[in-house]
Amino acid sequence: MSDLDEFKATYFDECSELLLELEEQFLAIQDGDRDADRLNAVFRAIHSIKGGGGAFGFDALVRFAHSFETLLDYVRDGRVELTEEVVVLCIRSVDLVADFVNAARTGDALPSDYGAAEKASFDALARGEAAESGGGAAAGGGDDDIDEFDIDFTPVAVNLDVNAPLSSVAPSADGASRWRIGFTPYPTLYERANDPLLLFRELSLLGSLTVTPKIENLPDLSGFDPFGVYCSWTIDLVSDRASEEAIREVFEFVDGDCAISIEKLVDAPAPVLDVEPSSEMPSFADLAEEAKAERKFAPTGEPDDLEPAAPMLSLVEALPPASAEDTVSTPMLQSAPLRDNGSDDNAGNGKAMGMQSIRVDLDKVDRVVNMVGELVITQSMLTQQMDDAIRDRYQELVRGIEVLAQTTRGLQDAVMAIRAQPVKSVFSRMPRLVRELAAKTGKKIKLETIGENTEIDKTVIEQLSDPLTHMVRNSADHGIEASDKRIARGKPEIGTIRLSAEQAGGNILIIVEDDGQGINRERVLEIARERGVVGPDQQLTDEQIDNLIFAPGFSTASEVSDISGRGVGMDVVLSNIKKIGGSVHVRSWAGKGTRMTLRLPLTLAVLDVMLVRVAGSPYVIPLSSIVETIQNSRADFGHMPSGGKVLQVRGEYVQVVDLARRFELVSEQADADRFVVLCEAEGNSKIALVVDDIIGQQQVVIKSLEENFERIDGIAGGTILGDGNVALIVDVQSLRSGNAHQNAA
Amino acid sequence: MEALDIRDGYGESTAGASQNTLQLIAFSIDEQIYGVEITTVREIRAWNGATPLPNTREYVRGVINLRGTIVPIFDLRARFGDGQTQPTKNHVVVVMSVGEKWIGILVDAVSDILTVSRDDIHTVPEGNSIDTELLNGIVTHESRMVGLIDLHAVVAGAKVDA
Repeated sequence: MSDLDEFKATYFDECSELLLELEEQFLAIQDGDRDADRLNAVFRAIHSIKGGGGAFGFDALVRFAHSFETLLDYVRDGRVELTEEVVVLCIRSVDLVADFVNAARTGDALPSDYGAAEKASFDALARGEAAESGGGAAAGGGDDDIDEFDIDFTPVAVNLDVNAPLSSVAPSADGASRWRIGFTPYPTLYERANDPLLLFRELSLLGSLTVTPKIENLPDLSGFDPFGVYCSWTIDLVSDRASEEAIREVFEFVDGDCAISIEKLVDAPAPVLDVEPSSEMPSFADLAEEAKAERKFAPTGEPDDLEPAAPMLSLVEALPPASAEDTVSTPMLQSAPLRDNGSDDNAGNGKAMGMQSIRVDLDKVDRVVNMVGELVITQSMLTQQMDDAIRDRYQELVRGIEVLAQTTRGLQDAVMAIRAQPVKSVFSRMPRLVRELAAKTGKKIKLETIGENTEIDKTVIEQLSDPLTHMVRNSADHGIEASDKRIARGKPEIGTIRLSAEQAGGNILIIVEDDGQGINRERVLEIARERGVVGPDQQLTDEQIDNLIFAPGFSTASEVSDISGRGVGMDVVLSNIKKIGGSVHVRSWAGKGTRMTLRLPLTLAVLDVMLVRVAGSPYVIPLSSIVETIQNSRADFGHMPSGGKVLQVRGEYVQVVDLARRFELVSEQADADRFVVLCEAEGNSKIALVVDDIIGQQQVVIKSLEENFERIDGIAGGTILGDGNVALIVDVQSLRSGNAHQNAA
Repeated sequence: MEALDIRDGYGESTAGASQNTLQLIAFSIDEQIYGVEITTVREIRAWNGATPLPNTREYVRGVINLRGTIVPIFDLRARFGDGQTQPTKNHVVVVMSVGEKWIGILVDAVSDILTVSRDDIHTVPEGNSIDTELLNGIVTHESRMVGLIDLHAVVAGAKVDA
């Protein structure tokens, strides 16, 4: 059943996207934007989730989504007013839909009455009763809701005698308006598994229909393509409640897959049969126009297949100068591809956007990223090999290589931009978190997000979710005070957590700020001393104390809550962020608030490293973990009983690891000429690595060793240098722990 | 003739070879000829050095850059326990796929492509465990002995555990 599984996976992917959109739209609605487009968007999203869920038999999800959709439908046509309570109910319900989807994905069973209170509220609202925003309404309703909703369904008989109009239904009531709808499906409508009959049924809910098919275009059997579209319809609708909008809505789901014309007829009802066929089909006329326009490309005006090639060729000939100029100039313009879009300039044309994006397997993108990485290395290798003699002799070649360099850089930026995603996908999980935290702690908290369209590499985004969750939790739990305390301090009753993202050079800054009480430094220092994180006589600056909250096993909460306070969390933030080559910094102002700044690399594919040499082989050390480098002759070593060494640096004793010895290699460098690279490992612990030589800094593309070999202790991976040789990436963290193990043995 | 343990795709027929024949790339180490099935071979390149890998057995010569992928190189002579090869520019790396992974083996020279009959594959005589571990079988070609290398066995246990 792998096919079905595949469809399910796609469905769940889509659900995640739709849920994100729902959250986003409702938050905008909550901020007062009552644009009809937003309501339509949420309606569509819920409808899609329900539809797919139905196909897979997720009954609980479908029942809930159905009630939700019904309410939204009523809100959309104004039968239910969109009050603040309704919006809040909707937002909570989006969370519930997410839970239902998640339960369907994992196969976990939710309690049978899960969401029943909200569902009851929907039904009550839909019946015109007041909203009980607390969701306290009895869990009423039931499976029969679906039938209840569909109660005014009128079946339409389909007459296969094509020459006669379809049976017209009940005569119209007084004051009814008449509409003439021209409906011409495109082949895409059928390809998307839509059925015109269902549309007609939907239309019939608005009033009585007379449907006349047009089959003039039907070819004889020999020319008949079974997938061809030959039939269009004219529909006369008599209704007392139809509006052009209502009619268009019926066709909403086939928008773009058919031509629709809607015309209000003012004259008295008349027999439908004497309809002028040609005027009924503007769409065909349009198509004919288009076809004519296309034919103009062929100078002869003949449908000869070979003819159009000639003008095409001349077009191509005209192009090169312009495109060559493009190649040179665009890479320079695009030096910052992962830019912050700042505003929602794509909002509002959601339908068009759907057509402009494609789903691509991440593996395929990664393959391109890898290959471009190679190209960058090859290109820099070429550039390095150009000496002055070559420059003088082969100027054309040199120019070519310069253009290649620019194009390569442009290509690299463009490829990275493909992997880049807006941080919105992480930020959008936070409103729900804050709502839940606010509910649990009884505090009043509002979340502001800024720069959520800032783009970062997908891998970084994936690693960002946990740290960010911990940071927001920390702010809500430890930062923001309870309302009464806030009022007593003269602050606004509602606490604010501000989440922002911006690009700063080659980094992305993610800032979590709150206007809470700030870090209690005395308490932090006290606990740090208690737990031995800080020596009894050690003097720390305010900033150092603030950053202690990232120490492992550290927590200031005097009681353990299920939100935060178990002492795991903030050190997880630090280690997760370090893992992706970032850093964390915290600043706090007593009584005013705390600001935590995450500095992240734009991409994981490229790593800033220091290139060193050990026993004749190149190794690289991630720059993010290096504190400083010291010449061996100037380093202050102490000897240990085991024969090992320690390095004394600024009052600290740091374990020394000779990389050559550790890797069982033989160094031929005189000891005094070697270097110490002081590195910082997880949890602020330091380690001093002794290397033969320091070559310089550069950017490298990370390659896996495990792909063709296996993991090696002390090595995090490999990379390919400009000369084509492989250099190994030193795994600072595992060297530290590995060494401790050796010492203990 | 005993049935052969089907490993490394030796049991599969290769394109161009009939059901009962096998095509081998033959290479030599110290005058002895060995073979691997031709379909596993990806390319053959001259030895051009490798970056040594720490904490690995002596027969792991290191890693090379094969068009952007890092590929480990195994020194077959060292794997047989005869000490590390002193490679020159004339030595050859045969790059092949073992399961999902690509590896290279360092050999003295590649000599030929052989077509042999499956029926001519002999089992490795019991005796030295290195032989039975590293060879899948022995085949005679033009009255010379060709050892069929078991690539999975070559790769296994390359890491030194602390």
